[in-house]
This record gives sequence, structure tokens and C-alpha cells, in this order.
Amino acid sequence: MRLFVKPFLLGSCMLVLLSFVAPAAEPPRRIDVGRLSRTVEDVVVPLPNEIFGALNKLDSVNWKEFVRTNKGTNFTERPRIALLLGAVIADGFIAVQAEDAPSVKEIGQRVVALARGIGVGNSIVPHAKAITEAADRRDWGAVRQELDRTQNSVQQAMNEVRDEKLSQLVSLGGWLRGTQVLTSVVDRHFSADGAELLHQPDLLEYFQCKLANMPEFNIPLLGQIQSSLVEVKPLINVNSPISAASVKKIKQITTRLDEGIVTRTQ
Amino acid sequence: MRPPFPTARHIAILFVVVLSLQVAASRGSVDDAHSFALQSAEPYVKEGYQVREDYWGGDLGVGEKKAVRQQLFKGNDYWFWMGSEVERSKISVHVYDADGKLAEQPDSWQKGHFAAAHLIPKTTGSYFIIVAVETSPEERTHWALVYGFK
Repeated sequence: MRLFVKPFLLGSCMLVLLSFVAPAAEPPRRIDVGRLSRTVEDVVVPLPNEIFGALNKLDSVNWKEFVRTNKGTNFTERPRIALLLGAVIADGFIAVQAEDAPSVKEIGQRVVALARGIGVGNSIVPHAKAITEAADRRDWGAVRQELDRTQNSVQQAMNEVRDEKLSQLVSLGGWLRGTQVLTSVVDRHFSADGAELLHQPDLLEYFQCKLANMPEFNIPLLGQIQSSLVEVKPLINVNSPISAASVKKIKQITTRLDEGIVTRTQ
Repeated sequence: MRPPFPTARHIAILFVVVLSLQVAASRGSVDDAHSFALQSAEPYVKEGYQVREDYWGGDLGVGEKKAVRQQLFKGNDYWFWMGSEVERSKISVHVYDADGKLAEQPDSWQKGHFAAAHLIPKTTGSYFIIVAVETSPEERTHWALVYGFK
């Protein structure tokens, strides 16, 4: 998290704020969203635990069975490292859900190694240390916050060296792994509310747009992800509830993609 | 030989430097606005909200609005906190659902250069977060928006 500037000034402002907080002025009850831009921009990609938290409120989930013990392959291609890095950070959130401290610490080290592979390792080392310390204390809230900081630091470091596309692949890798786990859970104990968590058409469109702008990454896996997203889109972009059959299909697709991200078979 | 007192030229240079520093300080940045947005969020962290590291930011003229779209999940409880470093500005943030219907909770609030909107989504999907600068002494006012959930 960025350091606060002008702490004294801010402290004073907070005192004023807490003393005189007022309800918002009456906003319009309805706006014409048709007049707003339809372009999906400035997207903040949800963290996997944002979805897992909602899922947890619907049903008790045995998160331990989703903790990945396989450390994954070492890649040299930077786009593949970026995708894997996103998936491994998502694995960190799964290990936190499972309250599995050894796996959390191992994932912290794996994240550092992958970040080094794309030249942004230095910005991650303090976060990995903080993850280990928080896991030792079993302070899961702090681990979640550090995982978010880790992803943010990786992406900021990439953006600073104009590697925005790799940064987007980190988000994509995390989103795919999160979606795979979400569909696995909902497929096992189907509920309409659980399936509704897959209703993310704008996010899917965002990733499609980003992938379409990466022709320089000549990697078959990216082409497979693109064509798979085309398959997924009609399954989640529906006005009716998302069906059990659609959940199963998305699970198959995202499981296949996840295997492609973590192994060298692609 | 140099004169013992500052010359008019020295005074003029000093004046320009001081003036430039003041102008730079008054301009602030999105980073400053981000700090104020995070400051608004701070009391909510104690209530269990996880504040995201990622955020939106930019600058707006008086009366201008910007819409950002965000994927939100039914079952979670969200707050969006907005801040600006322009202390005499008045800013606002409101959340609408995909049909354009105001979706925020009544405890959403606004106070000068801080504002916040509370949302408990009834459905999973995209929501529109509308940020606006209502009044400001500046031509362009930096703003930043962070969000948290539990």
C-alpha cells in the first residue's frame, strides 16, 4: 500500500470527517446507462478471494482439496511466466481459505521465483517475507492483504517498464484459476446462487479485448485461451439463471486451460 | 566584488522559486487523492473490510462526472471510498446497477473532499460507479476511488 502523504494533515481531516459525516446529497434515482460508454476500461479485476468469500457464504467448502501441491513447471517465455504467476497468487488465496500455513509459505517463495523470472523479483521479496510471517501467526487477513499487495507490486513494476501486457496476463491467470475453482465447487453442489457468481460478462469481454491486443506473443496457449473465452461467453452472458450444464462446461474449459498454464504440454 | 545584500535579481529568482513550489504543492496529484481515499477507508478496515490495493484515479472539472464499471458479487458487502486532495472541493460517488437504478445503501455519505458509497449487491454482475466533482476552486480536481469488501 502506498505510504500516506502529509500524515498530520490527513489526521486532522479525519477528525473533521468523523465529526461531521453527512448523508450523501440526493442523487438521481435512475440514470440512462445507455448514454455511458460501453467500452470496458479501467477495470479492477476482482481478487479470487472476493469470489471465494461470496461462495463461502453460500455453502461450506472444503478448501483443502483445492490447495495445489504441484509446484508447476519452470518456463522461460515471459507471457507463460506471467500467466503462471497469476495462477500461483490465486493458489495463495485458496491456501488461505484452507488455512494451510505451509502451503501459503511455499507459494510465497514460488511467487518470488516467478517474479524474478520476469525481472520484477526485487519488488516482491518484502511481501513474501510478510506472507511468511503472517502465515506463521495464522493471521489470514494479513496474508490476504499481502497477496493483494504482491499482485499489485508485480503489476506496478511491470507497468513501470511498459510491460502492461504481461501485467494483464497475471490478472488473466488468476481469474482463470479462480473461475476453475469456483466452477468445481458449484458443480459439486449446484445452486443457482453459486452459479450466479459466474455472471461476469464485462470481465470476460475485458480479457478478450486485452488478448486481442497481444499479437506479438506467439504462444499457442494464448490462442487457446482466446478461443475458449469465445466458448464461455454465451454460457455466462444470459438473462436467465446459469444452468448446471453451463457450470460443468465452464469447469471443463477452465480446467483444461489451467493445466495448460501450469504444465509444458502446450 | 559581490554586494553584501541580495540583489534585485536574487530576490526575483527566490520569488519565482517559492512561487513555483507553492503552485506545485497546490496542484497535488492523484497519489495525494489516493491517500485521502485510503484515509476514508481506514475506519472500515477495523470492521473487517479488505481494501483493495488497486484503485481508479484521474482529474475532473467542476460538474464533470466519470463512470467506471466494476464486477461485484452477490453475497459480499462493498464500500467505495473517494477522496481528493483539494480540501475546498465537494465530490460525490454513487453506485448504479446495470439497469441504471440507484443501488447504494442509505448510509452512503459525502463530506467535502471525501465521499463514500455502500453497496450490498442484490445480483452478481456489473455496476456503474459514478464519481463527480461538484464544486472546487481548481480548474481540474484530482480524485481517487478505492474499494473494499467483506
